[in-house]
Amino acid sequence: MKQWIAATLLATAAASALAAATVGQPAPAFTATDVVGKPVSLSDFKGRHVVLEWVNPGCPYVQKHYGAGNMQATQQAAVTQGVVWLTINTTARDHGDYKPPAEMAGWMKAQKAAATHTLMDAEGTVGRAYGARTTPHMYVINPAGTLVYAGAIDSKPSANPADIPTATNHVKQALAESLAGKPVSVASTRAYGCTVKYPSPA
Amino acid sequence: MPRPSSLLPALRSALLPALLALLPPAASAASEVTTPQVRAELLAHAPEGVAVGKPLWLGLLIDHRPHWHTYWKNPGDSGLPTTLQWTLPAGTHAGDIRWPTPKKLPVGPLMNFGYEGRLLLPVPVTIAAAPTGDTLKVKLDAEWLVCKDVCIPESGSFMLELPVQAATAAHGALFAAAEAALPQPAAGAEAQARVEGDALVIDVAGLPAVWRGRAIDILPETAGVILNAAKPETAWDGERWRVRLPLDPQRSEGPATMPVVLVADGQTAGVQVTATVTTPWPALAALPAAPAPALGDAVVLPPAAPAQGVGFGLALLLALLGGALLNLMPCVFPVLSLKVFGFAAHAQDRRGLLAGGLAYTAGVVLSFVALAGVLLALRAGGEQLGWGFQLQSPAFVAALAALFTLIGLNLAGAFEFGSVLPARWSAARARHPMVDSLLTGVLAVAVASPCTAPFMGASLGVAVTMPAAQALAVFAALGLGMAAPYLAASAWPGLARALPRPGPWMAHFKTLMAFPMFATVVWLVWVLGQQTGIDGVAALLGALLALAFLAWAVGSPTLGARARAGFGAAAVVLGAAVLAWALPSFKPVEAATTAPSEAGWEAWSPERVAELQAAGRPVFVDFTAAWCVTCQYNKRTTLADAEVQAAFRARNVALLRADWTRRDARITAELTRLGRTGVPVYALYAPGAAGPRLLSEILGKAEVTGALAGLR
Repeated sequence: MKQWIAATLLATAAASALAAATVGQPAPAFTATDVVGKPVSLSDFKGRHVVLEWVNPGCPYVQKHYGAGNMQATQQAAVTQGVVWLTINTTARDHGDYKPPAEMAGWMKAQKAAATHTLMDAEGTVGRAYGARTTPHMYVINPAGTLVYAGAIDSKPSANPADIPTATNHVKQALAESLAGKPVSVASTRAYGCTVKYPSPA
Repeated sequence: MPRPSSLLPALRSALLPALLALLPPAASAASEVTTPQVRAELLAHAPEGVAVGKPLWLGLLIDHRPHWHTYWKNPGDSGLPTTLQWTLPAGTHAGDIRWPTPKKLPVGPLMNFGYEGRLLLPVPVTIAAAPTGDTLKVKLDAEWLVCKDVCIPESGSFMLELPVQAATAAHGALFAAAEAALPQPAAGAEAQARVEGDALVIDVAGLPAVWRGRAIDILPETAGVILNAAKPETAWDGERWRVRLPLDPQRSEGPATMPVVLVADGQTAGVQVTATVTTPWPALAALPAAPAPALGDAVVLPPAAPAQGVGFGLALLLALLGGALLNLMPCVFPVLSLKVFGFAAHAQDRRGLLAGGLAYTAGVVLSFVALAGVLLALRAGGEQLGWGFQLQSPAFVAALAALFTLIGLNLAGAFEFGSVLPARWSAARARHPMVDSLLTGVLAVAVASPCTAPFMGASLGVAVTMPAAQALAVFAALGLGMAAPYLAASAWPGLARALPRPGPWMAHFKTLMAFPMFATVVWLVWVLGQQTGIDGVAALLGALLALAFLAWAVGSPTLGARARAGFGAAAVVLGAAVLAWALPSFKPVEAATTAPSEAGWEAWSPERVAELQAAGRPVFVDFTAAWCVTCQYNKRTTLADAEVQAAFRARNVALLRADWTRRDARITAELTRLGRTGVPVYALYAPGAAGPRLLSEILGKAEVTGALAGLR
């Protein structure tokens, strides 16, 4: 019996450590500081489509999509349609891949990224709320605040930029469908990329 | 920082064939690739030479540097499986990788499945036609992702020439070890899986007898179904083994079978079991269409909430009952008492009574439907609103307070509507009692809407998630329920005749009824105070004073015409001045300046709930609002009760309060998730339970203590 209780508690702890957002349910609210030190909340964008992109400039899979200009093109297309694009960096401060806000801002600028805001989440609060597992890991939230897509940027899980032209861009597809008032046909996929570098529990 | 050296593998793949071409075609012409993380080598095993029907194995050996790992076919939360791309002569065919039993590799809150140390990924090769020439040329392009705290995608090209006539068996031991580590199908084992709430429960019978009672680990071969990081709950039941695996909230698959690898404690090789999924998978996600940009066309419903098993018929019935109960609410009763006069006055006129009753019913039902329509339309437009939303607007609260003050003053005899309203209007009222009844119905709904009576919570919660027509039907039922007692009394005069006869008592009763009106005003002033602070309260009281003065000046039956004109003019000027000063104060205060920091209670947030649950504490959440009478009643009685408080302490329950007095999108979203649209809602999260248990709106002491006793 004791073991059962222990197992149950552990299961709860593990599960809630990554209490993931659920597709079809309201997207968890959050507030994070962007790279210029301004607080940004999801609720600031009520009534608009919002894309969340998990990023880590040190990750080869992120480099695949930025190096080929695929992520920037996706951002650009979204933003010109009035969509809010939030790029989120959940990398622990003590990790080698961590970039302080100014450096992160510089990197995004150098990449000619079109994100509305770049947010710092070194504590992993936002990442945990959304169950972000990989970089990149993509989420689309509709104007009613409902999570309508969670998963990979596209359909070809590889680090090879040559796969981009033949892959289906799930984010573009979800946005196009949601903007047209249609249900999202592919609402959940397995994200691929590097592990999100969460801080180790204190 | 180790970086992916995409150049090096590329250089190697370009140089290797050239280098190999220079080498003599020796049997041992194995190729290998070394990176800072791994040493990879293409190996072959052909103990009887290369010939039709003879065994031939190829394999990629990966020697990981310490702490680095590559992935299994289901890599878990991140990572990618290693891929092998073979180029073989015609008539030779390579099969799939025979993945050895992997290890669980936890990374922070995530879980991966993969390999460390020395790994051989073997592939069986079938030879359909005898190879031409003395050697069999094998080419392999492999890609693997190697991770420690960083991940590096690597690739390599390998070449090997096998002698056709001679045996190749130098690595026989490695291939044998890989074969031994392969999870074999468990002979005689049968498994069935079923979805139970937010978990997948797998029942396995016929596992090896020596496994009985031992701890077993489970690794799913299918990615994207279960929450990999959650520890499975396992139990032996005689010879059956059962495991409960929480489903991934972002599940992307709903397979008909779930192949899993089971590893008994202390074993390196697992067994493979394929469970047949016997229950249908819940829809991957309730996929709502985005709200249409045009608000006007059909009402689009908000995200499907977990409508907790309340069907349409039941929702209608509950709405009907809830509506009837609204008549007893303290904010409705005084208004209805106004209508009691109507009964007494029309006691002789059966037709008039019935017509009035029907008009009143129409007024109530139409008002409910109109309010509901506005609510649905606003929600469709992306507003985070719930039932009672009207009262989240300080201006609405102020207007309601003004209305009640006027009614109170009128009942107390300070002024007569007859003196205020133009003669033609009064005459119209008298001529059209139906219109009067209709308006009384509208008034009754305006004051009743904040009282979320028992039964109403669930009804309304379901209603806003239903198709628009059904939702409006539920609200109409609510109105019908509310009007029903009055309608019944007007239809059967027997009931109406039971009322006391008209007499001087009516004047006293009228004055008496002024007091509940003023009591309601006190409550509204308090609500406004919660929303806007002390300045708003002062402004409202000032406005009410000016209004009272105006009503007296214009409407007092005892004032002469000249006095009325003089005071009236002064009152209008005064009223205008007060309004100009007061209106800006009726703005909601930003942020929670009046945080509900009562002893023992802390402010609610979904993160806090998750945190406390993670810490293994039960959590009780009180979703409340200052303008919700039921909420305040429960707060001051049941929740303040010493016995209940003691029970909370005894179980170490964390008490959180979600204050919805002002608009709060997060609270609205959480209420929607719980299938409710209004407050009060009381949610008890047991440690280990996925969802909360909801207690009833009229909270009883026994109910709370009982629920607490039910906690493990």
